[in-house]
Parts: sequence; structure tokens; C-alpha cells
Amino acid sequence: MATYAEMKEVFEDIKSDLRYDHELNGCLNCGICTATCPSAHFYDYSPREIVQLLWTENVEQIYDVMQEKIWACAQCMTCAARCPFKNSPGGLVAIMREVAIKHGMQSARDVLRPFGRVMLKLITTGNQLSPDMIQPDHFPDWGPNIQKVKGNLKTLRKAIPVRTLQTTDTAWETSLKTSVEMYTIWEMTGVLKQLETMDENLYDVIQDFIEEKREEYEESLEAQDDKA
Amino acid sequence: MSTEQFPSDGTGIAGHGSFFQPTNLRPEDAEKATEWVKKHVDRRAIDLGERMDDVRDHMWQLEKDGEIIVHRVSDAHHPIDVKTLFGWNKKIPTMQLWHHKSCGQCGNIPGYPTSLLWTMNKLGMVPGKDYLDETDQTSCTAWNYHGSGIGNLESLAAVFLRNFHQAYVSGKQHGHELGHFFPLVHCGTSYGNYKEVRKYLIESPQLRERVKKILAKIGRLVDGKLVIPEEIVHYSEWVHVMRNRIASELQTIDVSNLRVTVHTACHYYKMVHEDAIYDDGVLDGNRTAVGTSIAQALGAQVIDYSTWYDCCGFGFRHIISEREFTRSFTIDRKIKVAREEANADVMLGIDTGCITTMDKNQWIGKAHGQNYSVPIMADIQFAALACGADPFKIAQLQWHASPCEEVVEKMGVSWDQAKLNFEAYLKEVEAGRIEYLYAPELAISK
Repeated sequence: MATYAEMKEVFEDIKSDLRYDHELNGCLNCGICTATCPSAHFYDYSPREIVQLLWTENVEQIYDVMQEKIWACAQCMTCAARCPFKNSPGGLVAIMREVAIKHGMQSARDVLRPFGRVMLKLITTGNQLSPDMIQPDHFPDWGPNIQKVKGNLKTLRKAIPVRTLQTTDTAWETSLKTSVEMYTIWEMTGVLKQLETMDENLYDVIQDFIEEKREEYEESLEAQDDKA
Repeated sequence: MSTEQFPSDGTGIAGHGSFFQPTNLRPEDAEKATEWVKKHVDRRAIDLGERMDDVRDHMWQLEKDGEIIVHRVSDAHHPIDVKTLFGWNKKIPTMQLWHHKSCGQCGNIPGYPTSLLWTMNKLGMVPGKDYLDETDQTSCTAWNYHGSGIGNLESLAAVFLRNFHQAYVSGKQHGHELGHFFPLVHCGTSYGNYKEVRKYLIESPQLRERVKKILAKIGRLVDGKLVIPEEIVHYSEWVHVMRNRIASELQTIDVSNLRVTVHTACHYYKMVHEDAIYDDGVLDGNRTAVGTSIAQALGAQVIDYSTWYDCCGFGFRHIISEREFTRSFTIDRKIKVAREEANADVMLGIDTGCITTMDKNQWIGKAHGQNYSVPIMADIQFAALACGADPFKIAQLQWHASPCEEVVEKMGVSWDQAKLNFEAYLKEVEAGRIEYLYAPELAISK
């Protein structure tokens, strides 16, 4: 159980985000946000509650909703479009999720576990999903008609008349230089650090991959120089 | 004057109490006094004063101060002006476009970008000059951010600036000036995310300073400055402004027999909503125009439904790890309503996540006796089909799980024959004889 000081620190981190003052401007308790919220239909989640807790700076309850509730939000931002105060409960939830990750909360670890493949793909290639991730056997609940023409994935992708899309392990063909630039962005913005806090094994795999790709890129530059 | 409606016994007008008494005005004076009520008020043209800032005004100032370069929508981009929610002007470039692809579309619904490029070709646009699709671009990374919380404002801003810098300089290798190609964003979430990030970049000198260091390190500044686009443009906005040309110049199939419902992506009009397009001729100007306007222009029957404003249920992380939510919501609030209430022949979307969610989560409804199905596709796939595009080669409907064959048949195109043709084409592909919408070497960024 976190101490009050720890919970206060979590709240201060939320509050110090540049976006906080834009996303929270007051609250009438009108509940329009919750009335239009898709997640409120299915979960014990209310955007109004999130706004109220932040507005009243109830640090203990804020810490409590970060254990589970904030992960119910579907991030559709319907609440933001509706709020008469121009609050964005969904935007506040995004900040709270970031802070949950920064503090290594268990809720964040639990939620991120099924995200490993997407994360690996995103960080290493700059794409978020790929055709080989959406094969029928991965999604039996999508039914037998998931692909209307049977055949080899590679051939089916080659039949797309656009060069950049003829890939199977990335959504589109990304140049090596592009991926290497992405690695710098991840490093310099602390995203790799976030990953390390959440999943050390995944972080190690990604680090190895990045090193390998950087070497590959350096070699390609040298080869180009030699050619010139 | 005493009537049943206006009693003179002091009880007031229509039971509202004694405070409300008849004015006893002559009819012509009464008409004059209430004239303003009847006058059409364009809500979107109301001066909002301090209520909302137009981010573009601040961009011009920052450019003047030598802080940023604004990637302009110039005459060379053949822009068409539209009105946004509050009546502000937005310039939609129609030529010299840099395709900023969507990872969900390319990975999962490839008929989306292919239909768009096919339509551009049909309109006479020349690849490499009038548009460019290249390998030097990343995803916006916002799907992951909204799903997992991994990432932050700084990383999203750096990715935005990196990709849009590439758009700005991309023309160079093809012999064009800087700024020749203007970015056209395919994904609704990328569009919403980029607009949000742009606002924070313009507002915060600290954020600009931090990302500038990153952009400098990866060589993505121009004259030491950040490049920020004048407009952030979604592909459906291009479709919206081109709708009459598409219908009048390209359409070959009558779709007036089709009942169409539209689901407009939340991140198109609920994030930075002041920038979404509204048009008096579409849904009375009360709802955003994109998606619906092309269906109207093609002559389809646009059918309204009670859950129009609802999200599709995608939820970013939910479609991966909380699928019970995603499929329940999409069946209850979208598919069932489109089927039972609107009796739709097809539901059109304008975004990646929505199409995936609504398309893939129909069959599972049978497990709970929810036996509803509706063909799901993008506005541009529907438009391309109406213009004679091949359902497989171009619209790539083979990747859709929903019964798209039904709507193709209703358009008078034989699904079975088209499938046979495509299966024959796959043999050609295996033999290395592949057809392209543009010369493949154009895609390789140097």
C-alpha cells in the first residue's frame, strides 16, 4: 500500500503535465461525459468521477482509480466533445496512464502484458501492426470469413498494387534510416525508459534489436561511401 | 385582446403565470418584433471571441518570429476552401499530396489506400508529381499511446515533426521544390493526434525547445527551424472536396438502390473539433460532413440512425485485450442498429480502427443470438466500387470479414466472377507479373 506522500507524488506528476490545465477547467457534475461514454456502459468507470477526483484533488481516490478504472477508458474522446466546461476526461486519463507507467504501477504492468507484440513491432519498425499479426488463427472470434480468398499471405500481399504495402511483417515497407531515426526519438523522449520500467525482458530484446539495426545502418552508409 | 391562448384574467399566457401578459401588438408589429427569431442563424459563423483560439494565427506569428517554418497550402496544391465547425476557413489541398499511411489500414484493410490511389489516378493525377507514396515514414504511434500509455507528448510531437518534415522535403529527390508535396493523413487517430500535438507545440516554447534538440539530432530541421503544416488534412476531407468530380467524372454504377449508413470516426471530429468540416448541405450542417457527403454525391440513400454519434468500440487496447467490450459495443450500438433500424446495405467508415472493429466483430454475435450482419467498408472503397474498381484487385474486399459480397452484387457486379478473375491473377503474381498503381521505384526514399 502506498503512503500518502507517494500518492501525493503521483498526483503532482499528473498535475505538472503541460496538458493538465487544458484538460481540466472545472466541473458542473452534469454527467454528460458519463452519459455518452461507451466504457461506462460496460465497466465500473465514469469519466465524471475521474474529473471530480482531480478537480477536488482527492489524492487517495485518484491513486485508487489508477489501479484499474483508468484502463477502462476507450479513448474515443466523446466526453471531451460533449463537456460544457471543455474538459477532456479522456485526455486526463491519458496523462494518468503515463504516470501509472512512470511509477511502475502493477495495473499498468497487467494491462501492458498482452501488448508485447505490438510494442516490439512499434519500437523496432515504427509500425504498430502487420499482416502476419492478424492471421485467422490469432482471432478465432472473428469467424471463418476473415479472409475471403484463401492463399499464401506473401502472394496475397504481393497482389496489392502498391509497392509499399507488399509486406508481411510490417504494415508498410519502412526504410532502415526511418527506423533508426525512430530509435533516437524513443531514447531521447524517455520511451525506452518507460518500457524498461514495465517489462525488462521486452526492453532487453528491443535494445538488442536496435543495436543490430543501427550497425546494419552504419554498414549501409559505409557501403554507400565506398561506392561513391 | 383576449383569446383562449392569451386570457385577460391575469393568469398569463398559456398558463405561464401572470408575469407573462399579451403584448397587444398589431400583427405587423408582432411580426417585426419576432423577425429575428425566424431568421436563419448560422451557428458556425458566430464570432466566438475569446472562446476558441485559431492555432493557425499563432503559427503565423511564430514564423514571423523566426521560430518555425509553416508548410503552406499553396496555389500549386489546388486547394479548395471548406468551412469547419465554427465557420473558420480550411484549405484542403487537392494536388501534390504526400500519402501519410495508416498502419491499421495498410496492415489490415489494404483496399483503403489502394482505392484512394486508384481514384487519384483515375482523376488524372500523376504519381511522383501529383502524389507520392514512399517508405520514409513511420506510424504516428498514437494507437499504441492511446492503448497502452507508452509514449508521451514529447515522443508524439517528435514523431509528428519527423514525418511532416519528410513530407516537406520529399519532393527534392523527384526534382521538386521544398514543400511540393503536402501531407494527406490517412488515419483518423493520426489526424486527431497530430492536431492536438500541433496545438501544444504552438503553445509551449518548452516543448518546442525539447523536441528541437531531437529533430536536430536526426537532421530534421530546415534552417534550424521546425516545420509545421498550415493545415492537417485527412484523406476523407480530400474525398469530400472531390466528391462532385468523383461522381460526375468517374462514376459508372448507379447506387441509388443502396441504403447507406455512415460511421464517422470519433478522432476525426471529437478531438480538436473546431477543425472538422461541416457543410450546410450535409446532415443540415449539424454533424460533420465527411463520409456522408461522398455517399450523397454518388446518389446513395443515406439513412440516419439513432446511435450515429457513438464510438465503434475499438478502444485501442480493448480490441486487443478487452475484446468482449469491443464486440459487445459494436454489435449493440452499431451493427444491430444499422441492421434493424436503418436496414442498411452497407456501413461506411472513414477510419482504420472503426472499420476493423465493425467488420471483424459480427460473426461472434451468433454466440449470443445476435445474428446481425452488415457489410463494412471505407467511403473511398465504396466510391471506387461505384466508379468501376475491381472488388478484389483494387477495393481488396477479400480482407473483409463482413458480407461485402452482398453490396457488390447489389451494385450489379458478379462477386463470383470477380473472385475467379482475381484467383487467376494470383497465378500471375506468383509468376512475378504484378500490376502497380504507380512505378514501384517511386516509393523508395533516398
